Amino acid sequence: MAHEMTKKQAVVRMIGFGAASAAVYGAIFYFSNPITEMFSRGGVYAAMPIATVFLVSYVHGGFASNLWTALGINARQPAKTLQPAATKRPEVRATLNA
Amino acid sequence: MDVALDTLKFIDLSTSSIIFLFIVGFIGGLVSGFIGSGGAFVLTPGMMSLGVPGTVAVASNMCHKFPKALVGAIKRFRYGQVDIKLGLVMAVSAGVGVQVGIKLQRMILEKWGQSGSNLYVSLSFVAVLVLVGGYVFYDAMTADKGGKPKAGATLAQRLQKLEIWPMMTFKTAGVRISMWFTIPVGFATGMLAATIAVGGFVGVPGMIYVIGASGLVASATELVIAFVMGLGGTINWAMHGMVDIRLTVIILAGSLLGVQLGAIGTTLVKESMIKFVMGSIMLIVAISRGLAVPKYLAELGVMDVAPETVAIMDKASFLIMCAALTFGAVIILGSMYKARKANAKQDREAFGQA
Repeated sequence: MAHEMTKKQAVVRMIGFGAASAAVYGAIFYFSNPITEMFSRGGVYAAMPIATVFLVSYVHGGFASNLWTALGINARQPAKTLQPAATKRPEVRATLNA
Repeated sequence: MDVALDTLKFIDLSTSSIIFLFIVGFIGGLVSGFIGSGGAFVLTPGMMSLGVPGTVAVASNMCHKFPKALVGAIKRFRYGQVDIKLGLVMAVSAGVGVQVGIKLQRMILEKWGQSGSNLYVSLSFVAVLVLVGGYVFYDAMTADKGGKPKAGATLAQRLQKLEIWPMMTFKTAGVRISMWFTIPVGFATGMLAATIAVGGFVGVPGMIYVIGASGLVASATELVIAFVMGLGGTINWAMHGMVDIRLTVIILAGSLLGVQLGAIGTTLVKESMIKFVMGSIMLIVAISRGLAVPKYLAELGVMDVAPETVAIMDKASFLIMCAALTFGAVIILGSMYKARKANAKQDREAFGQA
């Protein structure tokens, strides 16, 4: 099972993914007209919007996931059961069965 | 390197339209992450109200739908809620349903024109949503305190007992059922997707009541179906050059935040809450679509309605649709907040006892 991320780790990852997401969005909107025109040419150009949304879903999806973790909004694991309080096991003594 | 865009196809984006699309994307994503579908029915008319042509609105909406579904499906897969095999079997039969649905739509369009086609779409909306949504709502309201459906032999349990070759086992859903019962559910999902663009309103209840999956697994698995169908649809639309990437990525910015929050929400609330939200949204959307029926009857010359009344009903129809989505989002966020508080209290008490 994957280990649970701490809030600090989530914040670091959120900043990383957030910067990547901002860069992708910045590029799309800085060149919005040529990109929109090129992506709507049809035919093989269809691969471009599809590849872009996969990229956006990775970087912005990563940002979103870490944002909620950083804010302390986490899923509750269904199989979560309380471990019984540890009892002190009797010490094992070496015995000689001669 | 500035390029002029075709103004007939692509709108000028204002700050208010960007904010509108982001917010609707977030709310739609939240509802999708929680119940497996939703949001699309508001986004397409929402974009059209901004001046986006119908085909570009449908294409851009679909292009945002499949990556959103993918992210939601991955998230819920990590929680052990997705049955990939069931999703793929459903997606294949839904693909056939979509093709038949499109053919049926074309036949109606040829025979009765645009108004006849619109009337067919609205009536299908109302009939399916009232019947299925009503049942989902009733089931949620009669669930026990733990959120589980009431005991008794259900249709799904009876169907599972019928040994008709080939039998299929869906491990995550915990179901063994004949393939001949899964195909009609997938087919109907596709038919509805082609007609009203929200196949999940039949897919999720179908997986619950016909196949026998839990509400949690059904709503999570619907995201796999939405991904496969959305990707297929997007390839088709993009090859015709109909995707406005600017609209798609703005909606995606909101919906990727929402879909993950909705997915987290499913692990916090009672299972019946998923059915409650779904049933409520379906019934409210049914009212909204019902308001559109007189307009099409008037266009076909079956009924006399003043143009002013039609305009008011059109506006009311769109506002009620937005209200359905907002209502769903408020219920989801409210129940998540309550569940988090209750869980925190429970954990504190358990910690105190330990």
